[in-house]
Amino acid sequence: MLRIGLRAASAAAVGLALLAAGCGSSGSSDTTKSSSASASGAAASGPSCKGGKIKIGSVSTLSGAVTFPDVSGAARATFDQLNARGGINGCKVDYVVEDDKGDPQTATQAARDLVQNQGVVALAGSGGLLDCEVNGQFYAQQRIGAVSGLGVDGACWSTPNISPVNVGPFTLTTAMLYYASEKLKLDKLCVVNYILAGTKKAYQNAVDQWTKLTGKRLTLFDQTLPPQGDYTPYVLKTKRAGCQMVLSNAVEPQALSWMKIVDQQKISGIKWFFLAPGYSDAVAKALENTRSDVYAGTEWEPYTDKESSANTDWRSTMEAAGRPLTAFSQGGYESATVMADVLRSIRGDITRDSVYQALVDMKPISTPLTGTPYVFGPGRTHASNTATKIMQLDHGTWKVSTPDWVVLPKS
Amino acid sequence: MITNGVAGLAAGGTYALLGVCVVLLYRVVAVVSFAGAALAAFGAFTTTVLTEHGWAFTPALIVGVACGAAVTALAGLVMATWFAESSPSTKAAVMVAFLVGLISLGARIFGAEHPHDFPSPFSGGVVTIAGAVITEASVITVVLAAALTVGISAFLKRTRTGVRLRALSERPSTAEHLGLRTRWLACGMWATSGALATIAIVVIAPSRTPSFSSLSLLIVPALAAALIGLFQSIEIAFFGGLALGILEGVAAGIDQIQEYRGVLPFAVILVALLWSQRKEQWDEAR
Repeated sequence: MLRIGLRAASAAAVGLALLAAGCGSSGSSDTTKSSSASASGAAASGPSCKGGKIKIGSVSTLSGAVTFPDVSGAARATFDQLNARGGINGCKVDYVVEDDKGDPQTATQAARDLVQNQGVVALAGSGGLLDCEVNGQFYAQQRIGAVSGLGVDGACWSTPNISPVNVGPFTLTTAMLYYASEKLKLDKLCVVNYILAGTKKAYQNAVDQWTKLTGKRLTLFDQTLPPQGDYTPYVLKTKRAGCQMVLSNAVEPQALSWMKIVDQQKISGIKWFFLAPGYSDAVAKALENTRSDVYAGTEWEPYTDKESSANTDWRSTMEAAGRPLTAFSQGGYESATVMADVLRSIRGDITRDSVYQALVDMKPISTPLTGTPYVFGPGRTHASNTATKIMQLDHGTWKVSTPDWVVLPKS
Repeated sequence: MITNGVAGLAAGGTYALLGVCVVLLYRVVAVVSFAGAALAAFGAFTTTVLTEHGWAFTPALIVGVACGAAVTALAGLVMATWFAESSPSTKAAVMVAFLVGLISLGARIFGAEHPHDFPSPFSGGVVTIAGAVITEASVITVVLAAALTVGISAFLKRTRTGVRLRALSERPSTAEHLGLRTRWLACGMWATSGALATIAIVVIAPSRTPSFSSLSLLIVPALAAALIGLFQSIEIAFFGGLALGILEGVAAGIDQIQEYRGVLPFAVILVALLWSQRKEQWDEAR
């Protein structure tokens, strides 16, 4: 009998071994108004292009466990509309999207194919899990600019040649803590995060930035939340610490799990804040019956706000192309719009060098979807979007809690 | 610490229930079912998709359990047809291949972009101990695992079918020569374990990260629980699963080790393997 058990134990060990092997700022005082990408710039001394085409690339995660198809899809819809209206001084945008499949090797090859083989002059509308991390240095070496539609990994805000249009989790952490402490006047603030490779220090810096702005400190700062599992001990920990507000970078499934446990444990008196991934229809619908105070920060104008005039052009562009109306599609639209404005500003041939120089020299562009102007600029790092609007969950619907942008003051 | 230990009971009940299923399968078909939770996740997600389409919970659960049982039985049929006489290592490798393939397939079929909203009819509180609410889900999983432990032990020891099933694992060919319908008996056991595991996952899913991969990987602590009893003792697997859940809860409350709590099942597996090998090492030394 013991021998059988040992056989099983050996089999288990082999199996687990196999399983383990298988698993795996810049700034400027001048600001210009963004023209919608649908308007065609036809200046006589404007940009020109070889063969009537401007090749723009995108490295996006379109397949795999976590995907962001809405970003590049929205950018394509925006460029298509621009082309339908005459393009940029007669030049049509040829938009090429490569799928990195969430795989570093594939992402590396995709970037090299776009830049070296296909000869794209810039990147826009990228929404990839690891594009910035694995390709940031390559873009710098190649002197090519990337106006990312959705920065995901920490490298998106710490490399010289990528400037995302979204706030990103780190600046948003600072902004939401600032809102809770300065606007809601809460004293006991807590942060419970899960950490993907390389982001621990960035979140620490985000909290330090809030401390620098306000002179206040967190009651609880826990960065050991597992990406999956039972969150009950962590939820109870925030209760024991006396938190008045808990901010988490939990993504949709984690946020759902977290809030269901909060309801199960009958915890009241705490405001639960989530970063932008928590702001989704799926979360709102699933938490329809929660009695807790649930908030989420946005990276752009709230996409669920049908009354907002800021969303008008984005909404009509997406509807015309049959694209979904999501926050990620705002990112794709925003980056394509910004890229079109930058291309229009070029005098002479549109090449990789001229586009990069135009991005470096550009004046900040005010756009309706963001609370702060977008700028690429000459800095070693870029984080021009530092404004958020706070949403509150109300019986299965997201309501705008702050009609005015919550803008981080300059430290 | 007590609060966190109590909070870990819900996870413990699930680990115990899945661990008992793992031991049951090993004892009757001699396969370490690495894919047990992934197969059951198909049933759990089927239940969820049906409730999202307006089905009432009970009929959706019945269909989901049937689906979990069917896909698990299908995996069992593959094992019984082509790998019945294979070595434990080969069987383990096949099951790991099943697990990896199923995680990809599950993500494709049920989608990974947005989470599913698992129905939570068992989210009510039963009692509060040390500040932690013991939910109905916790009680259901622990009671179900305990009942299963008692029932399976009695069934395997005291019934004619139970003895036949044990014969399957010891000598499948001999059992077949003696006229036992080995393949169908084996498939029946796979289906039973699939149905039970599906129920466990449906009950626990609302308070876990509701993704296909995370629910599939519940098999890791379940294997640790099974390994504590060397894949032979259903009772030890039950208590091992409970203890592991409680231990995880306690670890989450200790700052110095909380970030390593995910490693606990592997640590338990390592200790169990070392303990199981001690006698042979000592004999050799003597």
